[in-house]
Amino acid sequence: MRDRSTGYPRNAWYALAASGEVGGTPFGTRALDTPVVLFRISDGSIVALGDRDAHRPYPLSLGHVDGDTIVSGYSGFAYDRTGACVRVPSQAQVPYGARVPSYPVVEEGDLVWVWLGEPSLASLRHPVSTPWLTDAAWETFGGEWETAAGVGLLHDNFADITHVAVVDPVISPPALAGVAPALEVELTETTVHFHRDWPAAPLPEWQAKVSGTPTTASYPQREEGAFLAPGLWADRWDVLVPAEDGGTQTFRFTHAVTPVDERHTRHIWRVSRNFAPGAEASDALRPIFESYYLKVREILETMQQVIDRDGYGEDVNVAADLAALQVRKILRRLVADEG
Amino acid sequence: MTTQPIVREFEADLKVVAAVEAATDVVTLTLAAEDGSALPPWTPGAHIDLVLGEDLVRQYSLCGSPADTGSYRVGVLRAPDSRGGSKAVHAELHEGATVRVRGPRNHFPLVAAPRYLFIAGGIGITPMLPMIAEAEASGADWRLVYGGRSRASMAFVDELAAYGDKVTLLPQDEAGFPDLDALLGSPEEGTLVYTCGPTGLLDAVEERCAASWPAGSLHLERFSAKAPAEGEEDSAFELVLQRSGRTLQVPADKSIFEVCREAGVSVVGSCLEGVCGTCETEVVEGDVEHRDSILNEEEKESNEFMMICVSRCRGESLTLDL
Repeated sequence: MRDRSTGYPRNAWYALAASGEVGGTPFGTRALDTPVVLFRISDGSIVALGDRDAHRPYPLSLGHVDGDTIVSGYSGFAYDRTGACVRVPSQAQVPYGARVPSYPVVEEGDLVWVWLGEPSLASLRHPVSTPWLTDAAWETFGGEWETAAGVGLLHDNFADITHVAVVDPVISPPALAGVAPALEVELTETTVHFHRDWPAAPLPEWQAKVSGTPTTASYPQREEGAFLAPGLWADRWDVLVPAEDGGTQTFRFTHAVTPVDERHTRHIWRVSRNFAPGAEASDALRPIFESYYLKVREILETMQQVIDRDGYGEDVNVAADLAALQVRKILRRLVADEG
Repeated sequence: MTTQPIVREFEADLKVVAAVEAATDVVTLTLAAEDGSALPPWTPGAHIDLVLGEDLVRQYSLCGSPADTGSYRVGVLRAPDSRGGSKAVHAELHEGATVRVRGPRNHFPLVAAPRYLFIAGGIGITPMLPMIAEAEASGADWRLVYGGRSRASMAFVDELAAYGDKVTLLPQDEAGFPDLDALLGSPEEGTLVYTCGPTGLLDAVEERCAASWPAGSLHLERFSAKAPAEGEEDSAFELVLQRSGRTLQVPADKSIFEVCREAGVSVVGSCLEGVCGTCETEVVEGDVEHRDSILNEEEKESNEFMMICVSRCRGESLTLDL
């Protein structure tokens, strides 16, 4: 039987945290089976270091930030932004060569991207831009958590939304109730885009309510998904409301996924919209999306348990899986290239 | 109601923002979106299609930097035996012109290794440029042997000068052909060989690597199809499309790709002669007769993927993940 797991490439940017999670208090996390601590220094930039004191096996994230250094909460060793140990409490001489790994960081579009692969290659690649996450024209809310499932299961999930109507009939747009129109998939070497143009259908009740659009009218709708990098999906849903009724209502769904290890994934999700601005609408929408994403998390965790128990099966694929299969193909190749 | 998915590659009309003569008969084109928007990312070894006319689609390696997300660079040799592609590029793609681009795709990826031997012939230097930059950045031990007709015909010599003696230039009129026996005579564990260039060079490198190098050491890219082996005769077979739940008949005079297209199954293809890799498809069951110029021996034996534009079935039935 073929191994249906794809693994994940190390030579890629992964969003280990959202900007708001990283400040003057060390933020400890784990990615690609590597402990990482993130913290902000005096110039506002973010530093990523190996989250393990060079002196004793104790996470630096349990220590504190002091100026531009991070100080271990056990040994008192202080490390600068390059990971070099610059101070130890017990002697004047800093032990020669004492250091922890440091990793390239790019903070952009509300995400903290870290490169944990071959360090020299980081400058030859760019993290994907997500300008809508910080653009004032888009109102964004979201959450972040760990899912006890391999990143491949999350990719498969984002690659096909036809399950939404089954998983969560409340959030599901009425358009999804019909037979799915043809999926159109567009490939490049390392990305997969797909879209479907859904026939006119009413808005879901909750969306009509926050946007003040009548529930009786039907509008054409367009679904888009994009696997932009091993750590990023950017999807959207457009409801083509005519200008006189308020104009197109667009949701953008951003999913930053970072493999913690083979069986766990950190998931930062964001829902951005270009309509119904304001905190009141966000407060109404947030629980709807959160409850859907929690349901998805639970399902993916169950799938991981099934795989752990019974192994990968010869899953039957259907037409709607085309995008997922292309994503797997890209990931397999990127992993193979790492030798 | 049928809901067969449609799959295609990224396509866009890009503007030639620069067209520079890089050597005798070689032009380098820099292509960018009219509005300056970012282009799809790629990795060293990738190529794009230039759609130069109806039925005139040619593949060119990307030879700029993957870090440059705003433009693609290709180097195009005006081939004396041009089937029309390179002639059209040289005649029509001046600065300010627009060209339809498809891709990028990559069937010549740079696999991480401690050591590399790059062997380029003529315009085959193009995919090597980003590979070398990456090998250099990763601290790998590498060397490039670059042959050409004459010094004046060899593009990118100035860019390569920065690498010093890691690069050996062999203009044929001064230094003769590369001594492949000396270069490849003693296989080195852990060294990967990458080669691109004229068919004669590729065949010669392939022959020597097959004789004594560990399987998987050689990576090569062909831009023209390999001559078919003797005794390959086409026969008809049954084709099962697992995902679509359909069974088609492939007659002896048609390819799998053609049969799928005629049956309305969305398959993606480009060169249709087994060199570009666009139509790679997962094999579920059946004995594949591989005839492409992309998969290496190991990949062919694994029977996991096939190029449906040229490869066929040895037995009576083949099942694909389509």
